[in-house]
Amino acid sequence: MKIAYYPGCATHGFAKDIDVATKKVAETLGIELVEIPDWNCCGGGFLDEYDEVTHVALNLRNLSQVEKMRMDKFATPCSVCLHSHRLAVNKYKEDRDIRERVNKKIEGTSIKYEGKATAEHIVWVLLRDVGLEKIKAHVKRPLTGLKVATYYGCQILRPEQIMGFEPAYNPHSLSDLVSATGATPVTFNEMINCCGFPLMGSNPNMGLKLAYNILNGAKKNGADLLVHTCSLCHLQFDPLHYRIKEEFKVEWTLPGIYILQLLALAFGYQPDEIGLSKLAIQVLMEKGII
Amino acid sequence: MSVQTYEVIFRIRRYSPEKGSYWQEYKLTVDRFTQFTEALRRIKTEQDPSLAYRASCHMAVCGSCGMKINGEPRLACKTLVSGIINKYGSNVITIEPMDYFPVIKDLIVDWEDFYTRMFKVKPRLYPAKEVLEGKGEHRLKPEDQRRLWKFAQCIWCGLCVSVCPVIREDPEFLGPAAHAKGYRFLTDPRDTITDERFKILSDSAWRCTYCYHCFSVCPRDIEPVTAIKKTRALTKYVKEPTNVTFNGVKHSEAIAGSIKTTGKIMESLVYLQTYGLSRSLKDLIFIAKAGRGGSLISSILEEKPVKNVSEIKKLFEG
Repeated sequence: MKIAYYPGCATHGFAKDIDVATKKVAETLGIELVEIPDWNCCGGGFLDEYDEVTHVALNLRNLSQVEKMRMDKFATPCSVCLHSHRLAVNKYKEDRDIRERVNKKIEGTSIKYEGKATAEHIVWVLLRDVGLEKIKAHVKRPLTGLKVATYYGCQILRPEQIMGFEPAYNPHSLSDLVSATGATPVTFNEMINCCGFPLMGSNPNMGLKLAYNILNGAKKNGADLLVHTCSLCHLQFDPLHYRIKEEFKVEWTLPGIYILQLLALAFGYQPDEIGLSKLAIQVLMEKGII
Repeated sequence: MSVQTYEVIFRIRRYSPEKGSYWQEYKLTVDRFTQFTEALRRIKTEQDPSLAYRASCHMAVCGSCGMKINGEPRLACKTLVSGIINKYGSNVITIEPMDYFPVIKDLIVDWEDFYTRMFKVKPRLYPAKEVLEGKGEHRLKPEDQRRLWKFAQCIWCGLCVSVCPVIREDPEFLGPAAHAKGYRFLTDPRDTITDERFKILSDSAWRCTYCYHCFSVCPRDIEPVTAIKKTRALTKYVKEPTNVTFNGVKHSEAIAGSIKTTGKIMESLVYLQTYGLSRSLKDLIFIAKAGRGGSLISSILEEKPVKNVSEIKKLFEG
């Protein structure tokens, strides 16, 4: 299976380990990820507040590139990139005023969007196009005994009317994938709430508090580690883990890793091949997984 | 012709100060057109008169019947029982009161906090003096009406507030419904208290975390988060920005600047511009401690700007 790939800025930056793990999982499952030529940033969840029309135009530029590749969708590992592109397409198709202003803006550029290409999350591709049975068949290192909190966050789910893959208030895609690895999924009340990343610019103390709420909820429900679906959630849970610990005087740790890092681990890759954090490695050793 | 019916078990989260919180089940046969308000009315009249819930108009106008149905915040009158059965493939359906609000009895919650927030944004038009004195009239252009229409549709149902994660943590945040209402008057050309409205709305707008709960649950498709984004876009008119507003603008401009000049978010640069050297260095210690120094270096060295960056600039400027 060949599919266009949109990594996004964070996946090529601070969250590079997500890029690495995504490519390993794709390779194992026989998916050829073809990076979109000369892709640009989706706006990172902020550009639409700064310039709504340019935001739509920039997202259409990426989708127009996908159409030039003669493909009808791209897969991204980042929920914010997913959300940004799907919202931009929705605005372009549904809002006449925006469409007219965008059309004027993209006149004379390389952007020719026919409305066919769409954005999908890599998790959706795994579940819909690959299937759980095939994923299970590739598990070489069952993660038996590991309790994994399934954190969805916001942008892969909501608004449900535009994201549409699963019920926003009763999601199960991560539980399905975690179960496929042999680990035990842990659901918790906060699993569909925000990690706080979008507040890290304007109100960072509150942003960290929201991240703490997620980790605390998962920990209280007995999780050993947490999986998520987003390159920006990754920045909250992984590099800033120690800041959260210090800020909220937390004794325990709860490593947050990307869902495809967990799959790659179950497929037999070594922790250093998929960029697992020190904290995650420590937990996996304690649980006798590695 | 036979009409399709469903045997349904409703598991309702009940509460009274005497009994506390408990689940109670009711069995009911409904047809495919039965709304949840109708199902609740039949349970109350046919089986259990002690069941308490609010409902009035049965047509998504009065905003009384917000509740959680299978965990989803919904208006009971705008939701068909058959729709939920088909969505979840089960005839067992849970009904609970909305989150966040204190429960008074069963599905009835206390609105005090919600109204306080709504009144804070002065949810009414403040027309010009001559209009009030009958010496003149306000005119609203069709394009202004079209722009404001969406945000004027709020029915004060509270569903967005019931799911907002920031409202629970940040007493300074007005909440999604109040922002939608506030924006509707902030940009109404007939209104006369714009400076005061900026003072009320601007700081709070930068406290939203863009989780899109409010967009997802609004039964009137108002998109309160969009109102918040549009309020933020007007920050340049704010006379005395607070720290939260100032930091938010700095971050937003750093991101837009990076995309405009490179086509991408150069994270290290945006980080430095947003937080300054001191905070960035402190975080560097946390990042190194988590064993993430490598990612940081690769993000600085490896990410390349878009080749056709002149096209990106043109999009910003065109």
